[in-house]
Amino acid sequence: MRKRKTYLIPGILAILLIISGTGIGKAQNASSLRFNEILVHNDSNAVDDFGQHSPWIEIFNSSFNTVNIGGCYLTDDLNNPTKYWIPTGTPSTKIASRYYIVFWADNHPTRGVFHLNFTLEEGKTIALFDANGKTLLDKIEIPAGQKPDVTFGRKTNDSNDWVYLDKSTPGADNDYSKKKSAGEKFVEFDPYGIGMTVIAMMVVFAALAILYVIYKNIGKFFIRKAAPKPVALTSESKVVVAEEEMSGEVNAAIAMALYLYQSEMHDYENTVLTINKVSRNYSPWSSKIYTLRKIPNNR
Amino acid sequence: MGNFFDFIVEHLTQFLHFTAFANLTVGHLIMICIGLIFIYLAIAKEFEPMLLVPIGFGILVGNIAFAPGYQIGVYESGSVLNYLYFGVLNGIYPPLIFLGIGAMTDFSALISNPKLILIGAAAQLGIFGAYCLALALGFSPTEAGAIGIIGGADGPTAIFLSSKLAPDLMGAIAISAYSYMALVPVIQPPVMKLLTTKKERLIRMKPPRAVSKVEKIIFAIAGMLLTTFIVPSGLPLLGMLFFGNLLKESGVTKRLADTAKGPMIDVVTILIGLTVGASTQATTFLTLKSIGIFALGAASFVVATFGGVMFVKIINLFLKEGHKINPLIGNAGVSAVPDSARVSQVVGLEYDKTNHLLMHAMGPNVAGVIGSAVAAGILLSFLA
Repeated sequence: MRKRKTYLIPGILAILLIISGTGIGKAQNASSLRFNEILVHNDSNAVDDFGQHSPWIEIFNSSFNTVNIGGCYLTDDLNNPTKYWIPTGTPSTKIASRYYIVFWADNHPTRGVFHLNFTLEEGKTIALFDANGKTLLDKIEIPAGQKPDVTFGRKTNDSNDWVYLDKSTPGADNDYSKKKSAGEKFVEFDPYGIGMTVIAMMVVFAALAILYVIYKNIGKFFIRKAAPKPVALTSESKVVVAEEEMSGEVNAAIAMALYLYQSEMHDYENTVLTINKVSRNYSPWSSKIYTLRKIPNNR
Repeated sequence: MGNFFDFIVEHLTQFLHFTAFANLTVGHLIMICIGLIFIYLAIAKEFEPMLLVPIGFGILVGNIAFAPGYQIGVYESGSVLNYLYFGVLNGIYPPLIFLGIGAMTDFSALISNPKLILIGAAAQLGIFGAYCLALALGFSPTEAGAIGIIGGADGPTAIFLSSKLAPDLMGAIAISAYSYMALVPVIQPPVMKLLTTKKERLIRMKPPRAVSKVEKIIFAIAGMLLTTFIVPSGLPLLGMLFFGNLLKESGVTKRLADTAKGPMIDVVTILIGLTVGASTQATTFLTLKSIGIFALGAASFVVATFGGVMFVKIINLFLKEGHKINPLIGNAGVSAVPDSARVSQVVGLEYDKTNHLLMHAMGPNVAGVIGSAVAAGILLSFLA
């Protein structure tokens, strides 16, 4: 048994290490990254940091935590998944939760992290690969017939439908209509709060009622378990078993008495003065002879 | 020489402009008076001193009228107070307090008589009553949800929810929640007496049975799983509450439980109290909305007490003689632990000197903590 226990803890630690180790070399939750919007023919649309109208790719972080795209690969050739390596070590490659990042497909990789070594062409497939260069995170085939300055993107951030968008939105939500908050939508149907009261009270009651039902039955089980087992009586000896039930109040009084006894505070503590002989063993570090200056021997 | 004199005068004048005297407004004075009242109530009347002293002093700290731009105030990025306030704004402190509460709560009263759990659910009516009233008064849905939670009578839950739904109102909501929690002995007894008959107040309840350690351990685990499976948004509060309770009940993590219910909860209480108090700067706090929040807070406590007491009266209709519940413990369904349970005891003793209701009232009282955390989770999932 002891042997099993000895192996148990290192075993659990090893498993945890292996599980956490699988993330090594991968971008954090890079699987949440997806292409969101592209522009192939940029005549008068957004300009890059060099003032150029270049094709662009927008990537969306669909997760609810920050993801670093650094280390991942972008390509326009599925046979060459590691065509453009997104540099690491820069905070600018971190994409905030539910936010966007834009890459310029201008074939000018010397212009910075966000400038790719390919351009966008109709009929080609662009793809995003994980840091291992093998795991495909997302891909999109660019259909023919792309219009100048009209972007092709997801209808909404979480949609799988790709459409030509009425308005290009690099670095922003594709659905630019004014959105109502969850609360506003709720109150539209329930302006006086009656619906909320009914639903919420039902849920609170349901949660606690389930707890009640479970505990009622668990309680019954434990009461039965705690009940004294019937004593087998013989005709010779009749034993009267007096069952004495102690109430919670009695228990509480006993517990309080014990607590007071154990945590009793003294005004005067018992004190014992101890004088022990301290023995110092010889050490060359403390020896007087070694601390004296040695007289040179002139003989 | 003249130039030097001008230099001295100029800089003294400049210094005077930096002092709080130069920036003082009537609002600051009012808030300082409120802070002093809090400190007085805490020290002289012993109304929730652990909370009112840090909050009251925090109000004083927050209402020193400094010149802005020197990283001093709680709302100025980079200031020390702003760093401490981070834990409030991001809802970090309340779950830590819940961990401590879990580690110091004994659920035995609840486990021995599980039907008392339902009283904790009924008393949450105060939350939704205040939510309806807030909507009627023109508050936005998220603000109404945050205000409603005052009726749960749970300071950490109120801070947690308001930090998510209406951070601008958090100071007023927290102050209101803690003030009314301190005033539970004043607010609840009239409502309890109004709703009950003398016969009902004399009901004697069966003493709670002894609860085994295994039952307590199962409760901590099953309670967490059940409540958070139904309302996952309540996980930060409920998860920590039951985790703290497991530390206590497991019996093998005494050191952790002692830390959670001792030094840790003390540190967090100091930080939360001081920063919430400091967040009540006159410029942001003294508004008509704050007055509305205080009025709604009082109403929510009354409605919550009404809900708890009336629920007991209703279930008594279905219970056999000898198994009836004294409706005076209905008020304890709000989660002001242990003040509302103490109110049940005191009011009960007024009518029968030998009828001790404290242990019975602790059941709905701790159920109220769970209930208000569940209610906060529901509001969060619908309104956030």
